Amino acid sequence: MPVLRRFLGTAEGIAGGAILLAIAITAVLASVLFPGDPLAIVAEPMLQPFQHQDAILGTDRLGRDVLAELVHGARTSLLVGLAAAFAAIAVGATVGTIAGFAGGLVDEALMRVTEAFQTVPGFLLALALVSVVGPSLPVVVTAIAASAWTQPARIARAEVLSIRERDYVASARAIGMHPAEIAFREVLPNALPPVLTLASVIVANAILIEAALSFLGLGDPNIVTWGGMIAEGRVVLRGAPYLSIFPGLALVATVLGVYLTGEGVVEALASGRSR
Amino acid sequence: MSDITLSRRSLLLTTSALLASTAMPTLLLAEEAKPGGRLIVAADSEPKNLNPAIVASNGVFFIASKVIEPLAEASFDDENGLSPRLATSWEGSPDGLSVTFKLREGVTWHDGKPFTSADVAFSALNIWKPLQNLGRVVFKDLEDVETPDDHTAIFKFSTPTPFQLIRNALPPLTSVVPKHLYEGTDIAANPANSAPVGTGPYKFAEHKAGEYYRLEKNANYWDKDKPYLDEIIYRVLPDRAAAAGALEAEEIQLAAFSAVPLADLDRISKVPGIVVVSKGYEALTYQLVVEINHRRKELADLKVRQAIAHAIDKEFVVKTIFLGYAKPSTGPVPQNDPQFYTDDVPTYPFDVAKANALLDEAGYPKAADGKRFSLKLLPAPYFNETRQFGDYLRQALAAVGIDAELVNNDAAAHIKAVYTDHAFDIAVGPPVYRGDPAISTTILVQSGTPDGVPFSNQGGYSNPELDAVISKAAETIDESARTELYRTFQKLVATDLPLINVAEWGFITVARDSVKNVSNNPRWAVSNWSDTWLEP
Repeated sequence: MPVLRRFLGTAEGIAGGAILLAIAITAVLASVLFPGDPLAIVAEPMLQPFQHQDAILGTDRLGRDVLAELVHGARTSLLVGLAAAFAAIAVGATVGTIAGFAGGLVDEALMRVTEAFQTVPGFLLALALVSVVGPSLPVVVTAIAASAWTQPARIARAEVLSIRERDYVASARAIGMHPAEIAFREVLPNALPPVLTLASVIVANAILIEAALSFLGLGDPNIVTWGGMIAEGRVVLRGAPYLSIFPGLALVATVLGVYLTGEGVVEALASGRSR
Repeated sequence: MSDITLSRRSLLLTTSALLASTAMPTLLLAEEAKPGGRLIVAADSEPKNLNPAIVASNGVFFIASKVIEPLAEASFDDENGLSPRLATSWEGSPDGLSVTFKLREGVTWHDGKPFTSADVAFSALNIWKPLQNLGRVVFKDLEDVETPDDHTAIFKFSTPTPFQLIRNALPPLTSVVPKHLYEGTDIAANPANSAPVGTGPYKFAEHKAGEYYRLEKNANYWDKDKPYLDEIIYRVLPDRAAAAGALEAEEIQLAAFSAVPLADLDRISKVPGIVVVSKGYEALTYQLVVEINHRRKELADLKVRQAIAHAIDKEFVVKTIFLGYAKPSTGPVPQNDPQFYTDDVPTYPFDVAKANALLDEAGYPKAADGKRFSLKLLPAPYFNETRQFGDYLRQALAAVGIDAELVNNDAAAHIKAVYTDHAFDIAVGPPVYRGDPAISTTILVQSGTPDGVPFSNQGGYSNPELDAVISKAAETIDESARTELYRTFQKLVATDLPLINVAEWGFITVARDSVKNVSNNPRWAVSNWSDTWLEP
């Protein structure tokens, strides 16, 4: 694993990896640390943080444990971020590969569709989709992916355009492989690495879009989300700022962690190439 | 816990002290009203149609009630709680078939034409009865309006209509618009709907979309020396957090309809120069109601509904969600209605064990995962409080083994889901009580309302006994008999629980202390503000 070693050799990699790992562990252990519904009313409402053993980070306006909400919210954020990034890259890479490999009319058609999606600001597209279909987690993930797949598609297409002229592709054609097989078994795997470096940007973006949607009341109301917590805390911002600050900090840490990890990966890959 | 109670108590103390301080000047007449000045108030919604004769809703009244007047306005002190506006007296016939209004003389419209009984007849027959959201119910049997002279209007009904109901309906339902501008036009599309012409103390000047509405003083107002203010500006501030900041910065002088969030009141009441007033909304009581879809077989069972009622901690709701600015409800008529309210109804104290027992009895035992059955819960999105109560209700139901899944919608989608598509099991709604159960309360439980009528019984509930009481009361002329029927109505609703009344609340006004005569009638925010004045 030379890439992993190089990744851990960068400062960004270590910092980002550590932050992400901590958050991921929290998310995975959420149900162990705080079993039951994190939205349950467990104590007096509006307890100040760092003063009560039962609710270390205090309670919100209904008496729900802020720490429990925060921990379970990590799960939602990571889940949405990863699922949306996975969906966006899968769709984007497929579309890009088909467009780049097929060329001609298919290429034109697919790229115009991609551009059409690109002209609409991603957040507005997600907003429109969620308000039409109704807020629930799968819809939110789909909406974010729908606005994020265009970049992977364009990069995949650019890569494919150069790869399809290589000798091994020509030889695959010569031995009579089906074009679809060539595209997805020979070309796509080699076009993927540059697309994957986009993953960190997409994950970070997805987490932020999900938070923004929840903030606007378009998140799934049955699960805890950091954006939703900030929105609820906003009403009492002057009296109990901690209700907005804690989820806000969690959001910053997560996005920073994802971003630094991405930087670390890019640097590790780049130094690998230059060597 | 203890520090929370303390701060709430001190808040209530300050509030009442402030109340007293605003009420005293009017009582003692210690201060003389000084004319002039511009009042800037926060508007949280921006209605396009400003015709209160068509859309009798608080958002419209808030602006339009200064321009277009009703026949009478609600009052704290006058007889039957009414003070005269465009009518000077009203009298019902003993058979309930006619009501005679004497109209004010010497009143002119803002465009200079005289106000006459023809305007009242036109408004009643062509707008209130066929077009108005509430008038359709109250004036459904209005047959004709006779105008023997310019200042008498006699309302003729085809079936006996209780005078008590007409009286209670005068403030919200009888906004009079000028016949000469509406006659022969498409009333719903008339340009005067967005630039209203009325007889009120202020004239409509302009509306800049997204920014403000401007009203200016009507120098020819019938009540001489009034209004005191030169101008009222409604600044459009849809962000509720912004209203508090704007008040503190003295950018606005008044925010009505709880534009300042409840959670911020404790803090802002301590800011010098700002007063928090909870008076002035007595005739516009909102009710927090759990609407029930009786088509679900579990919910059709009275025991299940009783269990839900027992699972809700009303005290908690009032204390935590409304921060004390509400009262727990006992039934469909709020306690601040002196005419109809009765506390002689079955009550459902908070009791989780009893709720669980009732659900077991009803035949819905807890499964292995602790759940009995699942429900779709749709909280109305109009208020922070209704949404928060939705969050609370989900937890309260979870405690008795009912798994409620929250579905959030925007206002339009919520109304469609609940009142047209019936795509809900339970919903949280904030209906308004308007001083008489027949105006907008009985429709919440009566059967036979067509699909799609918002804020009506769309839960498929039908109770012939209750329906009979409601229709009997609708035609009972004798006031004490009618009142008695509505007491029975309250008892039946509280017994059979077609819906569950949880709490009732009025709004809060926050104002600079330089604004005088605030909240001096039970519909103050939607009254004409002719006696409001500013200390320079």
